[in-house]
Amino acid sequence: MKFKAEIKVLLKDDIKDPQGIQTEIILNRTGIDESAKVRTGKYFILTVNAKNEETAYKKIKNICENVLTNPCLEKYEILKAEKE
Amino acid sequence: MKAAIVVFPGTNCEKDTFEACRYFGLETEYIWHNETNLKKYDFIFLPGGFSYGDYIHSGRLAKFSPVMQGIKEFICHKRGIVIGICNGFQILCESKILPGALTINISNRFICDDIPIYMGEKEITLPVAHKEGRYIFDKSTQISNLIFLKYKKNINGSMLDIAGLYDRQKRVIAMMPHPERAIFKETGSKDGCEIFNFIIKEL
Repeated sequence: MKFKAEIKVLLKDDIKDPQGIQTEIILNRTGIDESAKVRTGKYFILTVNAKNEETAYKKIKNICENVLTNPCLEKYEILKAEKE
Repeated sequence: MKAAIVVFPGTNCEKDTFEACRYFGLETEYIWHNETNLKKYDFIFLPGGFSYGDYIHSGRLAKFSPVMQGIKEFICHKRGIVIGICNGFQILCESKILPGALTINISNRFICDDIPIYMGEKEITLPVAHKEGRYIFDKSTQISNLIFLKYKKNINGSMLDIAGLYDRQKRVIAMMPHPERAIFKETGSKDGCEIFNFIIKEL
């Protein structure tokens, strides 16, 4: 069976995100929002083959931890994982 | 002594590293990243560049290349020294051969400059060229005795001004600056020789 997951990856909270900071500066300076906060990240759509939901989830988690993120640097969230 | 320069898809500093190795009298060969037998070499270089186009994150996909398993065995059996330069440093961190990780510079800019670096007490000038050179480590990591190079002025936001590291046994050595670009007087500086001399003669 095929399972499709949507994954969000962000730098860990205590690691400065220069792209986010720069975007905040622009938002503040232009007056679009003077107190806007921005964190940038990555979004992945992943489709895996697995026998059942449990093995699919394990596989997705493994991919998140070993390929899509480096736990020293980034955190991830599985937004959605369902049978395709 | 024999040196291997690992070439990944997207590596672009292999030629400079090759010339530097040859200048120091090393019998040097390029090896493709699917090579796993590294027994005949004394030095393995992971040169700079953009392995796998830096897709997902710099060094992230290169860590799955077969050569990395060979490198782990090479280190484990104490066959020689592994040297990571720039992207090589990123690959070694991503592979967890060295602690920590490298992420985007605090300035959000690609930095290409000759900058002063401390190698122990000694100050040398080396070229840097990177956008993801901000070194981060977990607070739980004992790092102080692993520091090889420090920025005199922190250019990228690295923790403790770290520009280069070695592992506990000093069998793995990695740095963001490019010593291979500062070997011949034609390229402006010969300070890179300090690094190569240290690696080849002292380790």
